[in-house]
Amino acid sequence: MLLRWFIVLFVCCALPWSALAATEIEISSPGEQSIPLALTEFLPSEGVPSAQISGELNEVLVADLDLSGLFRFVDPGAFLDDAKLIGLYSTQVNFPQWRMLGSETLIKGTYSLQGEKLIVEARLFDVVNRRLLTGRRYVGEPKDVRRMAHAFADLVLKELTGEEGPFSARIAYISDKSGDKELWLMDVDGKRPVRLTNHRSIVLNPDFSPRGKEILFTSYRANNPDLYRKEIYSGKEAKVSYKQGLNVAGRMAPSEREIALTLSKDGNPEIYLIGTSGQVRKRITDNWGIDSDPSWSPDGSRLAFVSNRQGNPHVFIADIFSGKTERLTTRGKYNATPAWGPKGERIAFTRQEGGRFDVYTIKIDGTDERRLTFGPGNSEHPRWSPDGRFIIYSSDKGGNRVIYVMRADGTGSRRLTTLESDSRHPAWSPRW
Amino acid sequence: MSVAPLRQSNAFHSDPKFGRLLLVSLIVHGLIWVAFSFDLFGTNTRPKPPIYYVDLIHKPVLNPQAGRPDPRPAKKPQAAPVKPTAQTVTPAVPKPEVKPAVKPQVKPATVAKPKPVTKPIVKADTRKDQKVQSALDEIRERQARKDAREAMKDKIAKLAASTSVAATVPADVPVGSLDGSGDEVGSAHVDFVRTVIQENWVLSPYLIDQARIADIEAKATLVYSAAGKLMSFRINAPSGNQQFDDSLKRAITKSEQLPQPLPQDLELVVTFNLKDIAAARR
Repeated sequence: MLLRWFIVLFVCCALPWSALAATEIEISSPGEQSIPLALTEFLPSEGVPSAQISGELNEVLVADLDLSGLFRFVDPGAFLDDAKLIGLYSTQVNFPQWRMLGSETLIKGTYSLQGEKLIVEARLFDVVNRRLLTGRRYVGEPKDVRRMAHAFADLVLKELTGEEGPFSARIAYISDKSGDKELWLMDVDGKRPVRLTNHRSIVLNPDFSPRGKEILFTSYRANNPDLYRKEIYSGKEAKVSYKQGLNVAGRMAPSEREIALTLSKDGNPEIYLIGTSGQVRKRITDNWGIDSDPSWSPDGSRLAFVSNRQGNPHVFIADIFSGKTERLTTRGKYNATPAWGPKGERIAFTRQEGGRFDVYTIKIDGTDERRLTFGPGNSEHPRWSPDGRFIIYSSDKGGNRVIYVMRADGTGSRRLTTLESDSRHPAWSPRW
Repeated sequence: MSVAPLRQSNAFHSDPKFGRLLLVSLIVHGLIWVAFSFDLFGTNTRPKPPIYYVDLIHKPVLNPQAGRPDPRPAKKPQAAPVKPTAQTVTPAVPKPEVKPAVKPQVKPATVAKPKPVTKPIVKADTRKDQKVQSALDEIRERQARKDAREAMKDKIAKLAASTSVAATVPADVPVGSLDGSGDEVGSAHVDFVRTVIQENWVLSPYLIDQARIADIEAKATLVYSAAGKLMSFRINAPSGNQQFDDSLKRAITKSEQLPQPLPQDLELVVTFNLKDIAAARR
């Protein structure tokens, strides 16, 4: 009896609340796809203010973060008084002021120059939730200021995307700036170029080892295209493969135990696997056509390469364990220089159409082919950044062949090397 | 040890007074609830002013040019109603009356030969014209009445047609939509809140693993007061992607105060995903 009354009571109480049932809605795209970011000028915390240091820090950060395509910068002309105040802690930042400017994220920082010692402190704040997202203190010399800014840009991307940026890495390329085609190294924004070889002949096809300590390249130093390896920090250099004929396009396996390359020791160029000391371990291809330009899949189980075994040059994928080979590209008359993306999903390559080369990407199942470069000139030798967000390539659209970088969807293309010299065969190093 | 309290409780429930008291209490509470929910005291007799939410940016507008000021069509309708009164009163009579008074005085001074010739002709014609004019006026008047009747009929027919269309429109179509019924019942306050949250949601699709874009999804419950203030929120089902979930928290925090009040408290379960972006990329 009592239970019945309780049920009646419960129903009576529940009836009015049923009118406040939750309404369900769906939001299937964000209102804005770029994060509003306010990047303030780095201020001197102590010592002498240096316009050069603060300028370089801002310049590098703006260039790197703008290239990422993730941000929309708040106009510095609209900044209010909080931009002129040092704020390394969330309690020191006037967040409402930044929110009023429409910013969601804020970068603030300081530097202090004490003799030859430079200390840079940088912070990334979440303006909406009024909290510190990340921050770092860098200590070095004034010449390291660009590296510090690149490192913080990587950190910003890591905090906001979950994956570190590739801006602290470096790019190897071939340039004739010194008169001969030599191996050079530069920052990802094209600054601080350094020559690594002095072969005074022709150097080709550089590629980094997966850990970034060595570079493989081909050189005609001994009047034959031989494969060399070079330690970046010590500068030590050694021949890896110097068989008769071609020893080109060497690519180190993700395990760093083997090198895939093209050898023509038997007359016809074929893909081989050799050990790091140069001995042949396995022949991957064996047919009448020319097989070249191998590129490892990230898991090290497959190789993408170019072959004209079915007529025109096309990209093929070979399983190195089973030997099974499948054709990837079907369109175009000339497809070349495949580069397997670090995520393993897409392969970048070049295709000649209308008498000129352009960069394309394609899924590894042969679907979703996308053309990334347009306009005049030849765009060749595409290579991925270690995070797969960017692609570097060489192009002669401006006259001389120079290195360009763009986002993986083909947007945001910008030139890295100067037009005065010929630069080609870029390779993006792993993160250092 | 455990038997004694059990006995006590049985003795308590067997008390007949308890049942009566409980019954009386329930009846009293029930009456209070009925009185308030059916408004027997007449406290809520004053109707609330209707609130309409119209999204002028994202919702289609039936006739976007309707609000544009245009002087020409505005003048015409004013002139139209005046005409019939002018026609009925327009006796050309005053003209001939004025003319003879003025003209003879002027004539000798100006010595205008044709004028005296015209005067008698005008006088003779005006009488005939008056009759013709009045006849014409009558005809015009009849025609005008006829036209008005026909216009009225057309109007009624159009109204009938529009009401029949409105009857086919579902009752819950929101105001601001093309087929909106225009009453408060259908006001799109939920759409309004949805638009505010979406506008405040900032997320680059490059933040998300590209393979997951089609599948990533999170659910959040938001409770707004009638004043449009966010009372509470919680992420019921996070996506598992830190950046995605953080962007939602930022969007919700930015939407803590709506620019307009709501008709009542509102509890929303919002599903956030990137299906539109994934579809656009396919």
